[in-house]
Amino acid sequence: MAINKQHAIDPDKCTACTICITACPVTAATRKFRGPKMTGPALTRLRKLVSDDDPMLDYCSNCKTCDLVCPSGVPISTLNMIAKNEYYKTHPRKSKADDMLAHSEKMGKLITALPLGSTFANLGMSVGKSFGVMGAMGIAQDAKMPSYASESFISKFKKIKQTPYPRKVVFFSGCYINYNQPEVGTDLVKVYQKNKIEVAIDENFVCCGSPMVSGGYIDDARVNASKNTALLKSWVDRGYDIVTACTSCGLMLKQEYQELFDFEGMAEYAAHMYDSIEYLAKLHDDGQFDTDFANDNTKYIYHAPCHLKVQAIGRPSMELLPMIPGIDIEEADVGCCGISGSYGFKADKHEIAMKVGSKLFNRIKNSHAKLGVCECGTCRLQMENGSGVKAIHPLTVLRQAYGL
Amino acid sequence: MLKTTVVVIGGGATGVGILRDLSMRGVDAILVERDDLGYWTSSRFHGLLHSGGRYAVKDKEAAKECIQENTILRKIGRHCVEATESIFVRAPEDSEEFEQEWVKSCAECGISAVPISMDEAFKLEPNLSRKLLSAYRCPGAAVDGFRLLWQTVASANKYGGKAMTYKEVIGIETENGTVVGVKIRDRWTGAEEKISCDFVISASGSFAGEVAHLAGLSVNVKPSKGTLIAFNHRICNRVVHRLHKSSDADIFVPHGSITILGTSSIDSAPDDTSTETAEVMAMMEIGKITFENIYDYRILRVFAGTRPLYSADPNAKGRSASRGFVALDHAHDGINHFMSVCGGKFTTYRLMAEKVCDIVCEQLGVNAKCHTAEENLVDDPSPDLISRAKAVFPSYGAELASSRLGNEKLERVIKRIETQPEMKELVCECENVTLAEIEEVASEPTSHTVSDLRRRTRLGMGTCQGTFCAYRSVGAVNKENMPWAKDSVYLFKEFLETRWKGIRPVLWGNMLRDIELTRAIYDAALNLSGVEEIK
Repeated sequence: MAINKQHAIDPDKCTACTICITACPVTAATRKFRGPKMTGPALTRLRKLVSDDDPMLDYCSNCKTCDLVCPSGVPISTLNMIAKNEYYKTHPRKSKADDMLAHSEKMGKLITALPLGSTFANLGMSVGKSFGVMGAMGIAQDAKMPSYASESFISKFKKIKQTPYPRKVVFFSGCYINYNQPEVGTDLVKVYQKNKIEVAIDENFVCCGSPMVSGGYIDDARVNASKNTALLKSWVDRGYDIVTACTSCGLMLKQEYQELFDFEGMAEYAAHMYDSIEYLAKLHDDGQFDTDFANDNTKYIYHAPCHLKVQAIGRPSMELLPMIPGIDIEEADVGCCGISGSYGFKADKHEIAMKVGSKLFNRIKNSHAKLGVCECGTCRLQMENGSGVKAIHPLTVLRQAYGL
Repeated sequence: MLKTTVVVIGGGATGVGILRDLSMRGVDAILVERDDLGYWTSSRFHGLLHSGGRYAVKDKEAAKECIQENTILRKIGRHCVEATESIFVRAPEDSEEFEQEWVKSCAECGISAVPISMDEAFKLEPNLSRKLLSAYRCPGAAVDGFRLLWQTVASANKYGGKAMTYKEVIGIETENGTVVGVKIRDRWTGAEEKISCDFVISASGSFAGEVAHLAGLSVNVKPSKGTLIAFNHRICNRVVHRLHKSSDADIFVPHGSITILGTSSIDSAPDDTSTETAEVMAMMEIGKITFENIYDYRILRVFAGTRPLYSADPNAKGRSASRGFVALDHAHDGINHFMSVCGGKFTTYRLMAEKVCDIVCEQLGVNAKCHTAEENLVDDPSPDLISRAKAVFPSYGAELASSRLGNEKLERVIKRIETQPEMKELVCECENVTLAEIEEVASEPTSHTVSDLRRRTRLGMGTCQGTFCAYRSVGAVNKENMPWAKDSVYLFKEFLETRWKGIRPVLWGNMLRDIELTRAIYDAALNLSGVEEIK
């Protein structure tokens, strides 16, 4: 039952302390954005009074650094996203790319359904770029776009033969793993099987809605939230825990749904939701994490995605990966990479995104690490794009260390 | 020595209305106000432009006047009025018979009261209590008291009318039983001067007795204090009334970016603007019947003012005293050409002025008719000016600034930003007030304190209650070398103390956290309490 959540998302908790402005990576990168306090709680009050052109709304990347630093618990970025959603009901969109980037699942489905679809899509993107098609669409010419996999994760998963175990999780793969990097999903199954966990998937899951919310399509996200909530709740009712290997999906399902919507069962299933590495760290706390690792003498640099930080679950990857013998891993700890899901792919945001990420790029380059490590797919893409150093999911590091 | 035909004492709604009316009839007039315009009762109210619905059952005459004036003010004062409409809601506690009588009375008074289903009401106002039983849409509205007063004076200025603020009347002079002038003292310089005149009208509201006393007369005003609670955001988009016999804390008005709940009714002294926490708690409990989540909403501050209730019967009290107004011609007390105007309602300020001026003009032998209902207070900004404003103001700023400033001042502010783009920086982020606006208003001769700037711009009236705009605005007026801005410590203290006065009775929850931040900045970092003022 969707009821009014207006009073839950009101601007009253903000004390105008301005900490969010000092922490906002976008505000630091461009004067076009006047910061989270202004765009969020301050203007939320005025938007109830007057309407106006509001070009600033588009500049919030929904990285949620403001929410993380806010001492008053104001869902600042969510106020921004709600305002953006309302705004585009009455104002034309600046970029044609918004729709495509917000509904990436549609694109993924289309491409993987066609024989050789991914080959043509990937080719099309590079050809399209050279002819300026992407620019006309509102996609940044020099942004490195995610490429599509020839076989989806779901299709690959069905071919995997698992050993049944009493400990069971349902894996919400999300669009990026399903269509772009299915190997992260298969790594999860291998690592979890090694830890005596049986992994299920649900083909009825739909896109978590994170790109829709960031793009100002909350009404579309609501439809998806309704479907996913019912499904996730039923898995939890059957004794399953839920894991994600994409921190944006995880944040959306666990926290943002509750900030934005009011569907039955959200809080119940959220209590059983884990990031894939967090779940393993929990096993470790219970003495059940398999540490039968081979040596890995690689030098890694780990970047914690903003959407992981705001979940307040610490740095589970920095707890587990250092257990691998021989490993050299350090945390970058220099803030946002700049990409924020689809933000950095947009023509008018690409430069900002690269500027935001510049500290991280330099940090990676100067670390002389061989590989970057990060839970978030688009962060990994941005790390590679900005530093030239390939980045992988921590599950992949674990899978290799297990010799699988 | 100044010379005029009529001196109007008191810069509240009644006084400025009279100044404008006289000026438009071609009568020379000067208004003198002891404080700033609208410092007292005319800003210490809901900001409600009555539809008349509240008075329909008890006082049909007042109700009819309200709807008539409501219609006029929506037109002539369109930049001060937000035509929100109002909803009357009946709670289980309220009598059904009263509802029926009310519906009948509204029809008789010509007040549109359209019944709507509760589903419709909840759609329009999602925060309304789900326990409410019936709802009607009426033509109530929100009105900005400060703005209406300044724009009324701006209109009078066009016809030669003058208003002087911070001038205290210290004597009313008579010769042979007829008024010949008033003696005033400048509250800033202490300089005294005389204004010779043929007529004095005291429109000094709750202070009418004190002013009359200067001429050795007595006027029986019963000030009744009302406290109002300002919430941090708009919890409703329409005025919401309880549909019952008028009582405490039964009206919510969306006023700009905030919501105002009021009021209480306590017999008091004319200058009593204090509020007790217990008063607030009692009002919140009543308010909860209309908005069940009321305790979730952050209280920004409280403020209080006194209704200048006049009663010939010295024992009449509170709301049962007449809300109608009286014009007392003191010729009956032995002083000619001296009149006291008491009582009345903000909504009918124009009509009261018209009636008073009819009497005064007759005595002065002036035949001109009243035209105040026909002319707008300020001109609408031209589309060209609006588009220039949109080009330079930050988002949501153009419309707010244009209704605050009126045409001419808006153009001057736009020019400031056009020539110096950094002038568009916000001094007050909560209420979207630019540096250009602060400097423009600060340069006006009527500005003496940062609170004066606040009353004209809404500076410091939002969420942070001055925490960030205090040092910015004091810095701005210092930099501009305003003659009144020499003593920064005084400017800080005057501004912040008036903010804190309204916060102290409601110092809990988020407001407590907010004020701790303010204290950290001004008391800890700037050590304001530890330094002396120059004066």
